[in-house]
Amino acid sequence: MQKSTAIDIRYLRVDYGNYVAVDDLTLSVSEGEVFGLVGPNGAGKTSTFRVLATLMEPTYGEVILGGVDILENIEAARRIVGYMPDLAPVPSDLKVWEFLEFHAAAYGLGTRAQRRDRVAECLEEVGLTGQRESWCREISRGQTQRVVLAKTLLHRPKVLILDEPASGLDPLARRDLRHALRRLAATGATVFVSSHILGELAEMCSSLCVMNRGKLLASGSADDVRAQLGKNEKTITVRILARHEEAASWLGEQGSVYDLRINGQELIFGFEGTADGQADLLEGMIQMGFRMSAFQEKHSSFEDILVRVAETNRIL
Amino acid sequence: MIWQNAIFRRYCQSRLRSKGLGIALLITILIAGFLFFILRAIGLDRTHLNPRDAERGVLIPLLVFQALILFVLGTAQVSGGMTAEADEGVIDYQRLLPMSPLQKVLGYLFGLPVREYVMFLSTLPFTAWGLWKGEVALGVWLPLYAIFITTTWTYHLTGLLTGTVVRNRRWAFLVSIGLVFGLYTVVPQMARFGLVFFKYLTITPVFFESMPGLLPRTAAAVVATGQKLAPEVRFFGLNLPEAVFTVFCQGGVILTFAAMLCRRWRRNESLLLGKLWAVGFFGWIQILLLGNALPLIDPGNLFPSREVARRFLAGSDWAPKAIEAVGMSGLYGMVTLLILYAMTRVITPSIDMQIRGWRRVRKQNHGSLPLFADASSSIGWVAVMASVGAFGWYVFTHALIESRWFPGHFVPLQVLAFFVVVLMSGGLGFHALLESKGGRAVALATIFVGLVPLMIGAILSTSSNRLLPAALWVSGISPISSPVYAAATLLSVSELPPDLARAAPIAFYFWLTISSVVTTGLIVRLFIVREGIAVRASGES
Repeated sequence: MQKSTAIDIRYLRVDYGNYVAVDDLTLSVSEGEVFGLVGPNGAGKTSTFRVLATLMEPTYGEVILGGVDILENIEAARRIVGYMPDLAPVPSDLKVWEFLEFHAAAYGLGTRAQRRDRVAECLEEVGLTGQRESWCREISRGQTQRVVLAKTLLHRPKVLILDEPASGLDPLARRDLRHALRRLAATGATVFVSSHILGELAEMCSSLCVMNRGKLLASGSADDVRAQLGKNEKTITVRILARHEEAASWLGEQGSVYDLRINGQELIFGFEGTADGQADLLEGMIQMGFRMSAFQEKHSSFEDILVRVAETNRIL
Repeated sequence: MIWQNAIFRRYCQSRLRSKGLGIALLITILIAGFLFFILRAIGLDRTHLNPRDAERGVLIPLLVFQALILFVLGTAQVSGGMTAEADEGVIDYQRLLPMSPLQKVLGYLFGLPVREYVMFLSTLPFTAWGLWKGEVALGVWLPLYAIFITTTWTYHLTGLLTGTVVRNRRWAFLVSIGLVFGLYTVVPQMARFGLVFFKYLTITPVFFESMPGLLPRTAAAVVATGQKLAPEVRFFGLNLPEAVFTVFCQGGVILTFAAMLCRRWRRNESLLLGKLWAVGFFGWIQILLLGNALPLIDPGNLFPSREVARRFLAGSDWAPKAIEAVGMSGLYGMVTLLILYAMTRVITPSIDMQIRGWRRVRKQNHGSLPLFADASSSIGWVAVMASVGAFGWYVFTHALIESRWFPGHFVPLQVLAFFVVVLMSGGLGFHALLESKGGRAVALATIFVGLVPLMIGAILSTSSNRLLPAALWVSGISPISSPVYAAATLLSVSELPPDLARAAPIAFYFWLTISSVVTTGLIVRLFIVREGIAVRASGES
């Protein structure tokens, strides 16, 4: 069955004076999906999320959340959104349960007893039942992230906007977060989550997109994104016994080779081309008389791709 | 009900914890108790007042202490607390809460200073004892405490507004203290120079009215005698009780501040006021200024020299000097121009806001921005306010100059035309620069065109009398000085020293012409910029 669209962003643009933070972003996320938004610092993730959370008015564009146009009906949109900001803050003058109880009351979540139960449920969901009585100012960064996640879950939002929720979490907590997000998605909630660590998102998201300098560069499944951004990129490491400089110079003249560097006896470079092209390169090196003791290929990781994308864009 | 407000309850929870509250209450009760017992002891045992008068003696010191708690500590807590929310970042959570903007404003207004309210309540038993045993009439203390509370709300709303608008924590605290001090201590001093309305933003008028009822009988008699000489509170043809009129004045400010806060809670990028509200508020201030001032002209109570004569020249004949009336007219115009600047700042959209508005309009296939939208130009509204201000200024000047104090003098209608030009050129120039170039350009213009010429003029005029005409010319560059120049030039009653009388009109007409030309240029530029924004918005969308 075709899932309905939970988040529909059309031609979104956010300007800060002459600086374009988000440029013509169009994408949609289906209901019940865990959708990741990845990009380096300054990519426009936080601006996008603040617009989605109704905390910022876009310069242009349209955002529909759960069928509600957030620019036209801000109050209705706020009822269905749960937002967790980057480096989520907590008030220093409240205890963990007080912070959650305050939000539960503000969202009108039933009687005091019902609210208490809901707070307990959410604390359990994020694994913080034992910290109920702790002061918000005294818990660790990772625990703070989890407290805010619990706050975000309190009113059972249809759309969760989580800006870098995994920052500050230890590996165990990240695993728990992954499980929690999947559980939420299974209940029909749509999760839009950001990170600057692509590998982290690839593990927890059903789909993702990559942004840089305000522009959407790729979107789809993790493999789709890798294909769109990395194409057939791979890193090749060649170990040569002598004439390293000469070999490097020769490789540099080959059109499919980039980012060449020498590391001791090894020449490491990126290669963009077909398998035939790669075979031709190897054959060429042998014909040139370079004595090779190893020739190794490695597909670019998500991080490598992202770093390259970011650096390319920075140069541009 | 405020008890059901989640934000209020959240602050009750955090600010009424036994540890912090206990210490605050202990100190408050100690100070209030000390004041109470020592003043009673002095009254009963040292000055041998009768018990009723001795009990009354504690009331005013307690009131001052209560004012310290709510006015100073409470306001600081409100502005500081609000900025702390923004500083910590948790304010975004509150923005997303499904509560109405008004509920949020009320939650913060009463929640942030809740400890100060409890501290205030803890002093009330001492006050209640003093009122009961001192046999103070209900009609004395009830209006006083009602105004005490409305004044508290006015101050707290000022703090809340500052805390909401100013993003830097330290700046917000300084600005809020500065604003409260300025608005409710410095600005009310203008009441001495004919702008009587401003004193009704404070508790002072009601406090002084209540004084005879609060003081021991001998002191009260002196105060009451003094009050009989003091000007009565009149509003056009009405005689309103001080408390009612204070509530009326403060009510407008409270409503306007609350509207500003609600707009900011609804949408963070909003202008502080809508166009219509701003124009209405400006008109309301003009009505209050005139309503208070006009009835005081004939009895002479509006003139500052009357107060001086009353204090130091008892029994002698007194009549206002012509220069005094010219100064008062100039001051009225200057204050009107400054209020016009403030309101213009409040309703003028930034370039980003204009672009957003235009793109939205294009998306909806409309041809122009809605008249009342934040993004639409405020030029027409500034012109309306300038006209209203000029009319108010003219009415004030007309009533002043054509009063019984200056027989034979009159204010022709052409003066109104000049007043309109003065306020239009000042107001529209400010607006055009702000809307087309932004706040930074206006700040620089304010410093180098508005303030520096006044400073140089002041230095020149202080240095030597020979330099007075030069000082007059230099000061005339500043648009802020133009209302004073207008009054000095256009009013037939004006009596300037000969060298100034020669220089002032030439300087006034010269700088008014320059100012009008510059303003016209800025307006033309504004239209070009707005056209560019509209085209850019269409192209990019």
